[in-house]
Amino acid sequence: MKAVLEQLDAKRKAARLGGGEKRIEAQHGKGKLTARERLDVLLDPGSFEEFDMFVEHDCTEFGMADKKIPGDGVVTGSGTINGRLVYVFAKDFTVFGGSLSAAHAKKICKVQDAALKNGAPIIGLFDAGGARIQEGVGALGGYAEIFQRNTLASGVIPQISVIMGPCAGGDVYSPAITDFIFMVKDTSYMYVTGPDVVKTVTNEVVSHEELGGASVHAKKSGVADAAFENDIEALIQVRRLIEFLPSSNRENPPSIDSFDAPDRVENSLDTLVPPNPNKPYDIKEVIEKVADEGDFYEIAPDYASNIVTGFGRLEGQTVGFVANQPLSLAGVLDIDASKKGARFVRFCDCFEIPIITLVDVPGFLPGTKQEYGGLIKHGAKLLFAYAEATVPKLTVITRKAYGGAYDVMASKHLRGDINYAWPTAEIAVMGAKGAAEIIHRADLGDEEKMAAHTKEYEDRFANPFVAASRGYLDDVIMPHNTRVRLIKALRTLRGKELSNPWKKHDNIPL
Amino acid sequence: MFNKILIANRGEIAVRVIKTCKRLGIPTVAVYSEADADTLAVEMADEAIFIGPPAPGESYLQMDKIIAACEETGADAVHPGFGFLSENAAFPKALEKKGIAFIGPNPHAISAMGDKLESKKLAAKAGVNTVPGFKGEIVDDQQAVEVAEDIGYPVMIKASAGGGGKGMRIARSEDEVREGFKAARNEAKSSFGDDRILIEKFVEKPRHIEIQVLGDKHGNVIYLNERECSVQRRNQKVLEEAPSPFLDAKTRKKMGEQAVALAAAVDYDSAGTVEFIVDPDKNFYFLEMNTRLQVEHPVTELTHDIDLVEQMIRVASGKPLEVTQADMKIKGWAVEARLYAEDPYRGFLPSIGRLKRYTEPAEGDAGPGKLRIDSGVREGDEISMFYDPMIAKVIGYGKTREKAIDALSHSLDRMRVDGLQSNKPFLSAVLDEPDFRSGNIHTGYIEEHFPEGFNGTLPTEKQLKWMTAASAYAHVLDQHRLAHISGRIAPADEIEQLECVVILDGQSFAVEVQLDDLGVAKIWIPALSTDPLELTTAWRPGLGLFEGELAGEAFCLEIAPRTEGYNLTHRGYRARALVCPPRTASLHAKLPEKEPVDMAKLVVSPMPGLVVSVAAEVGQEVKAGEALLVVEAMKMENVLRAEVDGVIKTVSAEPGASVAADELLIEFE
Repeated sequence: MKAVLEQLDAKRKAARLGGGEKRIEAQHGKGKLTARERLDVLLDPGSFEEFDMFVEHDCTEFGMADKKIPGDGVVTGSGTINGRLVYVFAKDFTVFGGSLSAAHAKKICKVQDAALKNGAPIIGLFDAGGARIQEGVGALGGYAEIFQRNTLASGVIPQISVIMGPCAGGDVYSPAITDFIFMVKDTSYMYVTGPDVVKTVTNEVVSHEELGGASVHAKKSGVADAAFENDIEALIQVRRLIEFLPSSNRENPPSIDSFDAPDRVENSLDTLVPPNPNKPYDIKEVIEKVADEGDFYEIAPDYASNIVTGFGRLEGQTVGFVANQPLSLAGVLDIDASKKGARFVRFCDCFEIPIITLVDVPGFLPGTKQEYGGLIKHGAKLLFAYAEATVPKLTVITRKAYGGAYDVMASKHLRGDINYAWPTAEIAVMGAKGAAEIIHRADLGDEEKMAAHTKEYEDRFANPFVAASRGYLDDVIMPHNTRVRLIKALRTLRGKELSNPWKKHDNIPL
Repeated sequence: MFNKILIANRGEIAVRVIKTCKRLGIPTVAVYSEADADTLAVEMADEAIFIGPPAPGESYLQMDKIIAACEETGADAVHPGFGFLSENAAFPKALEKKGIAFIGPNPHAISAMGDKLESKKLAAKAGVNTVPGFKGEIVDDQQAVEVAEDIGYPVMIKASAGGGGKGMRIARSEDEVREGFKAARNEAKSSFGDDRILIEKFVEKPRHIEIQVLGDKHGNVIYLNERECSVQRRNQKVLEEAPSPFLDAKTRKKMGEQAVALAAAVDYDSAGTVEFIVDPDKNFYFLEMNTRLQVEHPVTELTHDIDLVEQMIRVASGKPLEVTQADMKIKGWAVEARLYAEDPYRGFLPSIGRLKRYTEPAEGDAGPGKLRIDSGVREGDEISMFYDPMIAKVIGYGKTREKAIDALSHSLDRMRVDGLQSNKPFLSAVLDEPDFRSGNIHTGYIEEHFPEGFNGTLPTEKQLKWMTAASAYAHVLDQHRLAHISGRIAPADEIEQLECVVILDGQSFAVEVQLDDLGVAKIWIPALSTDPLELTTAWRPGLGLFEGELAGEAFCLEIAPRTEGYNLTHRGYRARALVCPPRTASLHAKLPEKEPVDMAKLVVSPMPGLVVSVAAEVGQEVKAGEALLVVEAMKMENVLRAEVDGVIKTVSAEPGASVAADELLIEFE
């Protein structure tokens, strides 16, 4: 009996060593941790329960028959984050470069199935060289199995991907389907085809970093939702994100004890909106002064910064914030902002996270670049997302709410539950000057008359009371009371029940 | 005295004057520009009159508008504060014509002291020590050299109309005199429109010590002893104190009597200041007289139990002085720090904007002494580009110099300024510096102690303890509540003693924390203390100041929680703390340190906008502060300047291009 136990112990030790000391050292040399080390950081100490430690590939081609390493390049299992269940898989770059074989794919599918069945988030850590070429078609099949499960799990359990090394070719599509992608600066990159192929096909010379580095995806492409300095910071941030999210769509978002008073007033918000309507201000100040303890977990901070998205809490309960950012392009809605906002709103709706929308939007961005890029359909995504969302929707208009953008930003007409405005709000079809120019086209040459017309339009619409008189707003509130009023409103919505007509699924304008 | 007083000023000094008026029961009128409509001064005053656009030349310097405001409100007296119209002799004359009193000296005294050459002559005549030098205008460089050789090197060449360091040159040889004369004259002409130049002895390691005087319209003048303002940066005062740690009773009396003699010579009838420089042998020389209330007047008020604004109002209304020279005994010590919206880490560039978070500690008891704060701002106010970027004057006072300094440090620690960068870390660092502590200061003190500018200070062991304890406590508090997060699959272990590692700027400290109660914890940091340290604190997540007591000693840190750790600042030391379980910490040690990007060598767009013009070219050598390019955002032009001297490596911006926030525009080699 003892011999058997010792044998198990020895086998485990061998498996835990992955690709061996030398490869582990090389991994550290690149500024990266190993798969198991990463799981130690991600999960509560001692909580990891490993699956399939002894799985090996069955490939016999190209001399692979005698190259077998237990685990086959991916570490999988379950664990907890602050005592809450999560499923994980971490690609092990020290074993066959983390490349995906059929056996490797099966391991991932197993945790995906468990996560979906048991209603817990799944977190994938990527650091791999793509498909295992020696296996060929088996690896391709494996990828598709994973994609299929990612898709079925979408909207049922939160799925998070962290790119911590190379992630190319077939490997990119699983993260692409998941809810959030984090990257590590300098050590990770992500692309469909690498620099070599790019050069062959297009003659374009480009580095890994320029083609798919963390800053490219966190700032330009919007593929990544955040980029962090190193493995540890990225993993700590995943733990933080999980604190906000429900385990599945069958559960409510978690709540924690808040140290913050629900009746905290913030007098300085009364002077946030500058008297000059063209002067910007930082909408994040509102979020930080409204959210519990000023804690705001921003999603995609560096991409489409004209819209701000992220999680916070009110009375210890998770909420999602969506806000136009006057500091960036005057807070205008363009293609990128519409996509970013829409995806975030839909995530919140999937997981019963109430949405708080702060509106200061001059409209949609005009121009050929936007129109040729399909602004109509991209803008419609945000509209669609808000319109279909059944979670509690609270809206505060801080300044401009012009034109179609007013409708889009969680207006009353899109089933906004509580719609407030600050006294500085202006709800109008367009800015006063433009409006006067259209209404009084005949007087266009006469500066004095135009000024008077502009003033007239301003007096009529540069305030929230016209909209309030129609019931489009539930109240006009003092800025310093914003937190108090939102908390009170949210309390009334705890029992909200609303559902959309039965359908197989909707047909959002993709 | 007066029926209604109008304050022809803004910000902190307007608030200061209004406070005294309120105490005296005199109604007040504030005037305000477009930029100041929502300020504290406007709110506090009984009436407020709008006087025009933000630029001072179109508002606060417009005598007509101020006088019209007096007439509209029926104000029968004007307090000018300092700056703006306070030392313009035409202003009291114009007021007089309308029968409005000026709360300041007579116009003759203002103009006599306003001209440097003229005032020197007057001073010499009144028996005041003046710096050896040529009492007249220098016509050419040849004469400059002759005069310089006559006085003896080193000499100071300066503009007659100058101030603020402009048009000033120190010369130690004939060549330097010739060069300096030309440069000073050009600068004088372009800055002041007046190219008259004087030359005098340059005093090495001088101290700046000034005498406060107070006169009435009945020929009485007394002196309220001295203030020392030697800690200056580019001729701008940074720290001021009363009394001076340097003067003895004999010198003080001599200086005081000479100051009174000069004031009497111009029939001085208000509060004023006679500035001297004092050499290491206690020889003192007249510098200039300021015919107004000084920024640093509170240190005199606190050490003499007097309200100078009240005295100014009394004497302006024709009352005789109610205090005598014999009353002017120095009581205790007061030290004032000027809190500015500027970035000490980036060459003290102005850092204007909105005070997103701003809290002041309560006046009164502060550590071993007391606190007074003169400020004109509240949380949410804007430090505007149009005016002096001073946020507040923070004044510590106590029985001794040490207590006054400690009270000031204690209070600065408990001020929160967020949304813009302030010089608070720099002020605190100076207050802790041994030479300053021992009173060993001179006007070159800052250059001598911070030759490379300010780059923060190294941590003391106490600072390490406080930061380690505070971040460990913050972490543990969070862990405790996360132990009760909903949706757990297993009950949480009751955490009795939590082990963690605090990585403070790369230095790891193993810590054990036992949370006895909310706000009470025992903290073991074996590397820093053999005994457990008892921490008590009212801090909770969300507060930006971590105030507490560790092992019986009170401290207060700035803490910005919930980034990838905590950003902590205590005085001149700032650090990033990462708190994690021991296993994570040991893995952290395996990761290579990343070289931080030297932001001073990158010019990035502060906000999304449009590039209007680019003044820099690749290969060009530029000096710190030089304008590199202009970015327009929301109709406001932002001039981006070099933070360091250097050579331009790349320019990636071109006029007309729209740029994103933080987009790299120019890179230095």
